Amino acid sequence: MSATKASRIGEEIWKTRIDKVNAELVTLTYGTIVAQLCQDYDSNYQDVNKQLDKMGYNIGMRLIEDFLAKSGVGRCANFRETADMIAKVGFKIFLNVAPTVTNWSSDNNQFSLIFDENPLADFVELPDDGRAQDELWFSNILCGVLRGSLEMVQMQIEAHFVSDVLRGDDTTEMRVSLVRYIEDEMPPEEE
Amino acid sequence: MAGPRIACIGVIGKADNPLHIALFPPYSDAMIEFSFLLNSCLDIFEIRRKQTSIDQDLGLLHAIDERLAAYGWLTTTGVKLLIIVDLFGPEATSARLVGPAVSGLRDSDLKPAFRALQSAYIQLLQNPFYSPDDHVPTPGVTAGSASSCQSISNSKFIADVKRIGETWVPGAGV
Repeated sequence: MSATKASRIGEEIWKTRIDKVNAELVTLTYGTIVAQLCQDYDSNYQDVNKQLDKMGYNIGMRLIEDFLAKSGVGRCANFRETADMIAKVGFKIFLNVAPTVTNWSSDNNQFSLIFDENPLADFVELPDDGRAQDELWFSNILCGVLRGSLEMVQMQIEAHFVSDVLRGDDTTEMRVSLVRYIEDEMPPEEE
Repeated sequence: MAGPRIACIGVIGKADNPLHIALFPPYSDAMIEFSFLLNSCLDIFEIRRKQTSIDQDLGLLHAIDERLAAYGWLTTTGVKLLIIVDLFGPEATSARLVGPAVSGLRDSDLKPAFRALQSAYIQLLQNPFYSPDDHVPTPGVTAGSASSCQSISNSKFIADVKRIGETWVPGAGV
């Protein structure tokens, strides 16, 4: 399945089958959660990142069912297809953004998602304490969501942010790498 | 180009605590004088508020002298935005004063500046890491000990206010 086809599917589902909520509700709620975590962990941002990832993981494990039900898509033939599915359908229907898939590693097991916009981070400015800019990954929950949801469909992955516009970088980039397919069942050979 | 310019912008909290005061040339060093002026304007806010059904835009509060005039804006949550306009503009200081000031400054000329200020303040509030509670004086503490509540230190907000103050001219957007 090509990337354009995936975009079309995402667009279609977004228009017809998704209940919308006010974007500011989501943004402010998420912002409050992160700010509260920072306070609870006494600004230990490593712990905050970890906690966000864990929360995302728990969301992802449940969200994947919803995703499969709404999208009705079947198994992906290879990891490249999975990447397009995540970017053009998954992110599209849940956050109405479609990050760019790029920077593939030569073995097709690692790629980057570049976010042109990130609804979670609207209005946000990281705390000015000299450390948050270097340590906190504000949208780290998304890494957990991917990890949780892909694990439920037999893919163990590792995801982390490598840059974030909130830190003053030019782009927001998440690196996703496939660790292994769980179970012995292997996907069809890649072309 | 001479003409009315903003001399001072003040953002004052609900409890009359100063949140942010920005000064513009040629008044950049006159913090104490302008604190007094802003303070006296707060009384006018109080008086106007008692009148029925006031708009957010309070218009001209107080013409301080032939040169300075104070305009006010009061949000429903009690945050006060104040702009003091220098009717001559910064160029007039060095040269001899050229006749009377432009008299045709209407209340509506300030509206874009107030709107821009208000949206800057809203944007500040929407940042989850900005905590409005840090900027409210503790009850029971008199206004004299101002150290109990901080002023706004957010650099983006300060830059926004600076930009609004520097770019505003009558009859144009900010």
